Amino acid sequence: MHIMEGFLPSPWWEIWFLVSLPFIVIGLYQLNKLVQEKREALPLLAVAGAFVFVLSSLKLPSFNGSCSHPTGTGLGGVLFGPCIAAVLGLIVLIFQAVFLAHGGLTTLGANVFSMGIAGPAVAYLIYKAGTRAGANTYATVFCAAALADLFTYVVTSIQLALAFPGTAGFLGAFSAFAAIFAVTQVPLAIVEGAVIMLVFKYIVQLKPEILTRLDLLSESTIQKLREAAA
Amino acid sequence: MYEVLEDFAQQNDLRETSPGLKLFIGVSSILLCVSSPGPVAPLLVAATMSAAVLALAKIPARFYARLLLIPVSFAVMSIAVVLFVTGSGAVLLEIPGLPLAITAGGANLALLLLARVFGGMCSLYFIALTTPMTEIFDILRKLRVPAVFIDLSMLTYRFIFILIEEAGQIYRSQVMRLGYGRFRESVRSFGMLAGALFIRTWESGESLMLAMDARCYDGRLGIPSDSRPVSALALAAALLYLSAVFGVSLSTGGLVLV
Repeated sequence: MHIMEGFLPSPWWEIWFLVSLPFIVIGLYQLNKLVQEKREALPLLAVAGAFVFVLSSLKLPSFNGSCSHPTGTGLGGVLFGPCIAAVLGLIVLIFQAVFLAHGGLTTLGANVFSMGIAGPAVAYLIYKAGTRAGANTYATVFCAAALADLFTYVVTSIQLALAFPGTAGFLGAFSAFAAIFAVTQVPLAIVEGAVIMLVFKYIVQLKPEILTRLDLLSESTIQKLREAAA
Repeated sequence: MYEVLEDFAQQNDLRETSPGLKLFIGVSSILLCVSSPGPVAPLLVAATMSAAVLALAKIPARFYARLLLIPVSFAVMSIAVVLFVTGSGAVLLEIPGLPLAITAGGANLALLLLARVFGGMCSLYFIALTTPMTEIFDILRKLRVPAVFIDLSMLTYRFIFILIEEAGQIYRSQVMRLGYGRFRESVRSFGMLAGALFIRTWESGESLMLAMDARCYDGRLGIPSDSRPVSALALAAALLYLSAVFGVSLSTGGLVLV
């Protein structure tokens, strides 16, 4: 859910830049530390960023025939944690703005907040909570990705309603924006949850060492999942 | 399509102009569009930027027209909300049976937003179609953006093109096998595509790591930059253009539609 170039008027786009800034700074700090400890992290993060970009440039099958794109933010949040995902999100959003005309430069701050920070943070929290509670891994991944997508779209609606409250006030404008975007975003979130869940399943079946190396799943859980699939 | 945008950036007629100057013109026009109180200045920016893209950089008009259609769906949806939510001034149009009405205030705001989005998009395309990403990285380095951020973006950039190729191949072979025939199949196929892509990506990342290690990678990518000096005439013309737009934006601030 990208906000386009030129759409957010003057105090708001600056405000969202300021809101996003601390997350990016923390993310860069963590990234620097990670790269110094494990040099191999940089190429792997880069391919993850490229993966998110390519995924978001493909059209996702959608119920109502509208053209929707997956955001891939959920996966980034689950794999790398919210702060590094914010840096990846920033990079992907700059490329999307410059290559695909999705989003823009002045609205970058608002978009980074909704798609690079809020979405991944929700995905990360749900994934952590789910694994701690011992819930089914695939169900947890589905919820994390789908709710990250939904939350992203709620945040975008909040951003637009704050900028354009109109005479209806913030709440009225929020419900109007949320309702009109729900047409495409709610089916999209469900489909994206299903897709990310399938991705996770393929990784578990074909290359589970990725997940153990990122400390996402323990050897024993993967063993159990593979046995269940077999 | 994505490669095409970057292809044009590599070989358009403004390729040899200083990237700093192009970026400066593009970003300043975006800022002027966003801060303009009336719709005339953004429309002027849209017209001049399109003229620059078409006449100076010689981008084919058909291709450019197709690009302009990309952001339409978001624009239509959000502007529709703004149109109905903002209610002030005389009522222009009422929808029978629903508590919805378009008022003069709403129409003016929607027009302004449409103009700003249009101007901003044209300026963004001006940057995207004339300045290759590699030169933008160079400018970022000069602006002291942290090295780890630039390295990460450059590697990401490099991989985007490899991955798009692979995704396209997988997608085409899935389509040939009727993988997107029905809704259930298309979700399954798309998941398969994304999963296969992720694993392949990860493997190519690991082999890149080996290749970089073999070439003594020490956590820093050294890439030489070439600097193209900005001619005084070009800079003066750019400043003149921007101040003209600023002047228009100030003098037409009070202009409203109805």
